[in-house]
Amino acid sequence: MNLRNTLTIRQKHILWAWGFLAIPVLFYVVIRFYPTGNAIVLSFQNWNLLSARTWAGADNYVKLWHDEVFWKVFKNTFVYLLLGTPFSLVISFLIAFHLDRVRFMHGFIRMMYFLPFMTSAVAMAWVWRWFYQPVPVGIFNNILATFGIPQINFLNSTTNALPAVLAPAIWAGLGFQVIIFMAGLRAIPTSYYEAARIDGVSGFTILTQITIPLLKPTIIFITVFSSIGFLRIFDHVFNMTTNNPGGPLNATKPLVLMIYDTAFNGFDMGYAAAQTVVLFTILLCVSLLQLYLLRDR
Amino acid sequence: MANLTLKDLQKSYGKTEVLHGINLEVKDGEFVVFVGPSGCGKSTTLRLIAGLEDASGGDIEIGGRVVNNLEPRDRDIAMVFQNYAIYPHMSVKKNIAFGLRTSKLSKPEKEARIQDVAAILDMVDLLERKPNQLSGGQRQRVAIGRAMVRDPAVFLFDEPLSNLDAQLRTQMRLEIKKLHQRVGNTIVFVTHDQVEAMTMADRIVIMKGGHIQQVGPPEQVYRTPANIFVAQFIGAPSMNIWDGEIKGGRVMLGDVALPLSLAHVKAGTPLKIGVRPDDLQLGSADPILHGTVSLREPLGPETLLYLSSDLGAVIVRAPGKNPPEVGDRIALGALAENIHLFDATSGEALV
Repeated sequence: MNLRNTLTIRQKHILWAWGFLAIPVLFYVVIRFYPTGNAIVLSFQNWNLLSARTWAGADNYVKLWHDEVFWKVFKNTFVYLLLGTPFSLVISFLIAFHLDRVRFMHGFIRMMYFLPFMTSAVAMAWVWRWFYQPVPVGIFNNILATFGIPQINFLNSTTNALPAVLAPAIWAGLGFQVIIFMAGLRAIPTSYYEAARIDGVSGFTILTQITIPLLKPTIIFITVFSSIGFLRIFDHVFNMTTNNPGGPLNATKPLVLMIYDTAFNGFDMGYAAAQTVVLFTILLCVSLLQLYLLRDR
Repeated sequence: MANLTLKDLQKSYGKTEVLHGINLEVKDGEFVVFVGPSGCGKSTTLRLIAGLEDASGGDIEIGGRVVNNLEPRDRDIAMVFQNYAIYPHMSVKKNIAFGLRTSKLSKPEKEARIQDVAAILDMVDLLERKPNQLSGGQRQRVAIGRAMVRDPAVFLFDEPLSNLDAQLRTQMRLEIKKLHQRVGNTIVFVTHDQVEAMTMADRIVIMKGGHIQQVGPPEQVYRTPANIFVAQFIGAPSMNIWDGEIKGGRVMLGDVALPLSLAHVKAGTPLKIGVRPDDLQLGSADPILHGTVSLREPLGPETLLYLSSDLGAVIVRAPGKNPPEVGDRIALGALAENIHLFDATSGEALV
């Protein structure tokens, strides 16, 4: 009797499943898991890309703990997260909520909101950088000047620079979040709203008691998704502060930019790997925390 | 009192007219069922009464006041939706309480009201559950509870039983009828199922193409249908309809003269002759037609026979025990009172 006949249907299914899974599994092992493991190992070593890798124990982590720049960057990263996520969530919800009711040129308006998401971050960053210039180049300062309001130093001020860099990052992500929110809004059956109309409750009650609770899965998805985005912010910062990446005085520097700096300007691969491991841990903790807080009770 | 009056009610979407002037009086405490095929305008009528859509013409009066321009909440109505529209994130209690959010009752009064409703619907133990922990029938009761708690003048039901399985549907049908006997509010119930309509209604409103075809108690629409559509829509299996004509004052079905006279109808007028499958007598001594059994559907207490005859297809209800075999040729008779005559062109009943 040959193999084909001796296997049960279930065993054959399993065999086929693993056959198909083999390629993605192999791909993930080579492309994802191996580098991740390697980075964790590297974080306990010294390596400058050319010489041999030597063991350093926990030295890289100790160095990180005492590194003032790291703590500044650590703080910046969380400012990006704590400002970026709530702002983008509220703005995209408001846009989606109102756009959902607009019938006039609905598709066109939706496309306009989605456009920045498809545009290159580098190009956007440079356009915004131009917007932020002083009079007569920058549009924002020009507007301020028209109303006789004093000029604002956007990108060269240690207090204004981070929000100024964050704004285009929020703006760029809106289109995607608006689309997801609108899909969530559309999925709520109209009879829920009709029942509420018959009950005669206010629009505010409908929003807080019906719409938002029913959008919870959408809100969870967008929160986690945008949080990860803001924790990994890089290209907007890098391109808006090219003369002095992360400046002025590290005021806008996020963790990913510090990792990039350490690795490809300082050639301290072990130290960069240690920072990467920290970032990875933060991402993991933040995502798990959000999933826990927003879980179904 | 909570009378409901529809006066020449019209609705059109753009140029498409879906309701062509509906006139109806519903008395206080009456259970009225709107029935008809899909697209007949029955749900639209209900939504107009509820105020979820604006009428294009005519008036809606509830309890003697015209409510056309009132918001749904001011119309003193409550509605039960086909998909129940109960909120999945709220407990049963919160769902029921949602109907009371805008009421001016004090908190203990509201609580008492919720408990009353829960008791009537036998849901006291379920109040803290979430809808996804309930069965289809229980969800249905929550939806009814949310409507009841408002104590409206008129209850509106929009095909509330169509999402339930056959057994549960029969059970809920009884429960809703019992509930009506107990609380006595006016009910307007929409369904496409003629069995639901027959079993629950005080009066049935049969609709087709945006027009009311007939209004009357179940008995009446069954016994004396106003036209061929009603005759075939009400009652399962449908009424048999054959072509006939008038010859010398006699109603002729093929070569057979029926025991009926229609003096006021002109000779030679084409007719439609209808007899319900239940009213055809097998092996009659005085048959009106003959047919050969081509198919049998045994249902237990009875058997449905599908016959082929010179007049076309015939359906007959035969006893469950020892029904005729396939291929048997049988004679069928009918009492004069059970024979329905319709105008062949207009479809209206001839009396």
